[in-house]
Amino acid sequence: MADRQRQWPAGNDRVPYWIYTDQDNYQRELERIFQGPTWSYVGLDCEIPNSGDYKRTTIGDQSIIVVRDEHGGVNAMINRCVHRGVQLCQQDKGTVDEFMCPYHQWTYDLAGNLLGIPFQRGVKGKGGMPGNFVPEDHGLETVRVQGRNGGIFATLSDGTPDLETYLGDPILGYYDRIFDGRALRLLGHSRQRIGGNWKLMLENIKDTHHASLLHVFFVTFGLFRVDNDSRIEMDPSGLHTALSSIRGKQELNDGTAQMKSFHGEMELNDPRLLDTVREFPGDQTVVMQTIWPNLILQQQSNTLATRQIVPKGPEAFELHWTFFGYETDDDDMTARRLRQANLMGPAGLVSIDDGQIIERTQNGIRPNPGAEGIVELGGRDTDNADHMVTEVALRAFYQGYRKVMGL
Amino acid sequence: MSISARQRQEIEEFLIDYAAAIDDGLLDRWPDFFGDPCLYKIVSKENFDSGLPLALLLCDSPGMIRDRCDAFAELNVYGPRAWRHMIGQLRLTEDGDSVRARSNFVIFESLSGEDTHILCAGEYCDVLVRRDGALKFRERICIYDTTMIPNSIVMPI
Repeated sequence: MADRQRQWPAGNDRVPYWIYTDQDNYQRELERIFQGPTWSYVGLDCEIPNSGDYKRTTIGDQSIIVVRDEHGGVNAMINRCVHRGVQLCQQDKGTVDEFMCPYHQWTYDLAGNLLGIPFQRGVKGKGGMPGNFVPEDHGLETVRVQGRNGGIFATLSDGTPDLETYLGDPILGYYDRIFDGRALRLLGHSRQRIGGNWKLMLENIKDTHHASLLHVFFVTFGLFRVDNDSRIEMDPSGLHTALSSIRGKQELNDGTAQMKSFHGEMELNDPRLLDTVREFPGDQTVVMQTIWPNLILQQQSNTLATRQIVPKGPEAFELHWTFFGYETDDDDMTARRLRQANLMGPAGLVSIDDGQIIERTQNGIRPNPGAEGIVELGGRDTDNADHMVTEVALRAFYQGYRKVMGL
Repeated sequence: MSISARQRQEIEEFLIDYAAAIDDGLLDRWPDFFGDPCLYKIVSKENFDSGLPLALLLCDSPGMIRDRCDAFAELNVYGPRAWRHMIGQLRLTEDGDSVRARSNFVIFESLSGEDTHILCAGEYCDVLVRRDGALKFRERICIYDTTMIPNSIVMPI
């Protein structure tokens, strides 16, 4: 693509479309973002509760093993035998005493240390590794890990500050609101592949007002709507965002009157779907966080989930959902979370719309890398807002993105 | 006591009718296949095998099935497509006043202007009962093998 087309338009209220399609830009994202000084979300403690429990996950395009060791700690390693490059784990999760590569049986402990090599000393006095081969120097490539109250993050860079500094104010506070130190209970996973650029998924959450127009369910039952009391808050980089809101009533007002998707008369045949209870401090009934670069942390009423964004080239990404509750939940609360999970995921009453619209966006953008999108709602500023009739979180996000990418 | 040939044929026709109703776009017929009480779930094999309770879609009452039906038919936003269920390998066992049925499914999805792809493949685990002379699902658990759903499941499977 000509450099002319890679120019960022003047002002921060336009977003060029080549950032969603360009292969070179995508490679740069992998290097500067996913291999750069960022904490990627890689899982929850409750997924790997016991010694030897592991899960396979991804940072950018890098396959990673996250494993609980004998001392209760969490280690992360690149999923690649240092001998000949074979992927060690093929399963998404499991329990092991050690990791052994099937090709030549190089074996590693739960911290990635090389334990042994067959025929290291040769056979019948012949062959084997040279005498100066030091197994201690040939462990798996380890990855920095930091956990906080049940969430696990990893980084491929030595330059990433600690997680608390990285999340900063006010995001750390919102993170701790969900991950408040109580032990988590794993409810299950959902996985989907969406034919769109990975940033469109983050945008979808940061773009608050679409929920009032696209999602009939949200709109009609007031779960997330522009006329609700809401806040949009960002960290200083603009890359993390927390959107919070208080559920509104099913009433006609100057907001709902402008929404074609508002159905004043609609009633659920089984209202248990929206039988919500307050469980967090404060009045907010929904807090959606986007934690740069790959995590959406969702609290919508009583449904809690992490959504891990896994980029798959410039024009596709996977979304790995992990739904959870707390070990202290009683059976009613677990049943409530499982029923409300109907709102979200690859068949979610709300999320179906998002998966579909993201692919449709990509289809519209693909032939037009030289065109640009408009993010002017609410003005041209990048400050926190006390309402959601604004695209401020998108403007702030792309201000941060340009800095990271040197654009 | 084994299942009679006639009973087997009736169940087979019921399962085919269910799939045809969805494939033919007659979504308003979908709730009629369920009795009261009833349970309809779409569950990943990943969660099922690990004993994790999360469903991709969960309806545990006729009302929830009707709400889901309305959402699929009117509320959700998705592009035009055709679905084609393939079902087979029906296995039946009697269980008191109900019959347990297991069968395999594959669903082909065709979107306008794109190659037909497989939406998901898996197994139905059903509990069938007779109500007022007609067969109904007391339970239909759809366990899908597919590890990565292509975008979304926008209709009942």
